[in-house]
Amino acid sequence: MIHAGIYKDVMAQAFHALRDNKLRTVLSILGIAIGISAVMIVGAITKGINDYIYKELNTYGLKSVWIYRDWDNDDPNRVIRQGSGIDNDDYNIITSHKCCPAIKRATAVVYSRENIMPVRAGNHFFNASIEGVDVDYTEINNDQLKAGRNFRKDDIVRRKTVAIISPKAAKNLYGSANPIGKTFRFSNKKFQIIGLLAEKNRDLLNQIGADSYDVNGRILIPYTSYQTYFGVKDIHTVQAEAYELERTEEALQQLNAMLQRTHNYKYKYKQESMQGWMDTADQVLASISLVGLLGAGISLLIGGMNIMNIMSTTVVERTREIGIRKALGAQNSDILFQFLMEAITVSAIGGIIGLSMGIVITYLVAWFSGFPLSPSWLMAFIAVAVSVVVGLISGFYPAHRAARLKPVEALRYG
Amino acid sequence: MIELQDVSKAYYLGQTPVPVLKQISLHIQKGEFVAIMGSSGSGKSTLLNIIGCLDTVDSGRYSLSGTAVSDVPEKSLAILRNRYLGFIFQSFNLIPRISAERNVELPMIYAGVDPDVRKNRMLAALDIVGLKDRAQHTSADLSGGQQQRVAIARAIVNDPDIIIADEPTGALDSRNSQEVMRLFQQLNASGKTIVMVTHEDDIARYAHRVLIVDDGSIVNL
Ligand SMILES: Nc1ncnc2c1ncn2[C@@H]1O[C@H](COP(=O)(O)OP(=O)(O)OP(=O)(O)O)[C@@H](O)[C@H]1O
Ligand SMILES: [Mg+2]
Repeated sequence: MIHAGIYKDVMAQAFHALRDNKLRTVLSILGIAIGISAVMIVGAITKGINDYIYKELNTYGLKSVWIYRDWDNDDPNRVIRQGSGIDNDDYNIITSHKCCPAIKRATAVVYSRENIMPVRAGNHFFNASIEGVDVDYTEINNDQLKAGRNFRKDDIVRRKTVAIISPKAAKNLYGSANPIGKTFRFSNKKFQIIGLLAEKNRDLLNQIGADSYDVNGRILIPYTSYQTYFGVKDIHTVQAEAYELERTEEALQQLNAMLQRTHNYKYKYKQESMQGWMDTADQVLASISLVGLLGAGISLLIGGMNIMNIMSTTVVERTREIGIRKALGAQNSDILFQFLMEAITVSAIGGIIGLSMGIVITYLVAWFSGFPLSPSWLMAFIAVAVSVVVGLISGFYPAHRAARLKPVEALRYG
Repeated sequence: MIELQDVSKAYYLGQTPVPVLKQISLHIQKGEFVAIMGSSGSGKSTLLNIIGCLDTVDSGRYSLSGTAVSDVPEKSLAILRNRYLGFIFQSFNLIPRISAERNVELPMIYAGVDPDVRKNRMLAALDIVGLKDRAQHTSADLSGGQQQRVAIARAIVNDPDIIIADEPTGALDSRNSQEVMRLFQQLNASGKTIVMVTHEDDIARYAHRVLIVDDGSIVNL
């Protein structure tokens, strides 16, 4: 049993003892502090990269799935078939929730084989990605409207010649003027702009070649209008949103099963989700943390060994004190506790300094690199917990030795 | 109160045992004031440490206030020391760096006494030795005599039955030695049993009974 009244005594003793061994104390505190701040910084960087990647992945909607005809790989009987293998009837089954219970909502995506096409406003031209979509497209893709409005069911049903434009396209066609209400021509058809999308960032994904498509060059029109005015009968891709992240595979299976059934198993379909991307991102992040944590671990180990060294010296130097305490009635557990507390104090001070260093360095790195980093409170908590555990482990052996000293022998010392 | 029966103790020089106490039997009554004398190396401190439960016997029996100490596991002796015994050493043995009052509080901390009770008893004990106004001082700021009086306060603060003193005046001048002995007499008068090792005849004279240890045995006078 450890006597409760011992805390104050032990803390006072701990600070005295540490003051008497300034250099060694400072060195072990520093070792722990470096380890802990390393943990913090690794945590912040990992979290920063994680947030950054996921922000980009989120521009597709993490719960999104895509299904479209596998043009390269179907047609086992070598009979060339026309069409995309997805028609408006299929799409209506999906959106009226008559199939596919894992799907919350969906949008048709209609576009021609040549994805990029020139549009004209006055004497300005822009090579836009024209897409025919449904009302839910913007929400599924996490597209924000910077101005104007989204499509309404009415726009779709009545095949209106309205469009939502992305910022780069707007800038090229209308300069800095407000694009809402303006018109452009696309294959001799005149469209009026009803909405302006916010800019989307896929820099990282573009840089690593994961996406070559210019997300800020889109012009969205109702898919029904696309079909009507540009001679397309079917739907190129259905993009759907699963109810939950874990249900994207299920959603794709349900979509595929429905399409196979309605088309008598004539086509093969390509099925895509964000899962692969998220797995890759998580793997990259895990390896970054691993390297960082290894470094942090080594510095914590060195800090811990320093503490063990300090505590061993302290125990020898204070042998007589241990004898006196034992004569006065201190039990082994009291002595053990006292020296453990000293070790924990050193490493906790190191931990708190490391924590502050970690926070400051994180903000400095964020400031100078422009990369959005912020310290994670979970990491902070883990860091302090780890420093206490390091103190506990490295203090245990010396403290145990102190506790086992025989009172007569300890009293004869020195 | 204190009963030793054929107690032996040896130290080992390598493999060879060097007997220090040889079949010692002795009996000390409650309230006695006993001095142990003898030449250097005769085994006085060893005997006193066994009586004080700081050391264990190799063979024989030791019982203290009815407790068979020789059967108590070494780890549990701390409880006996804390409850029944107060120690005074030649070199005072105050813990350096901490104040007199913190020193005096220690036995109570290990006994699990409440903080407010602790403070009162600490002040009372320092008052008995006349050092209430020096409570905040550390040993560096106290004279030898004052340090020994703080040690006495610390020894009595848990109200033990027995005071164990190993050459308590060995490091003091005669005026301070007299002062410490006056306190011992006072404590003895209040019912405490005192067992004290000393080299000095005029200190031994304060005791009611003198035991002579010679080469590990008690010599009958
Ligand atoms: N831990 C030990 N290891 C080996 N020998 C020891 C140990 N403790 C005491 N001795 C030996 O035992 C003998 C008795 O020691 P003890 O300290 O009891 O003597 P003492 O009568 O108190 O002497 P002094 O008057 O000098 O204090 C001595 O010869 C001493 O050297
Ligand atoms: Mg001695």
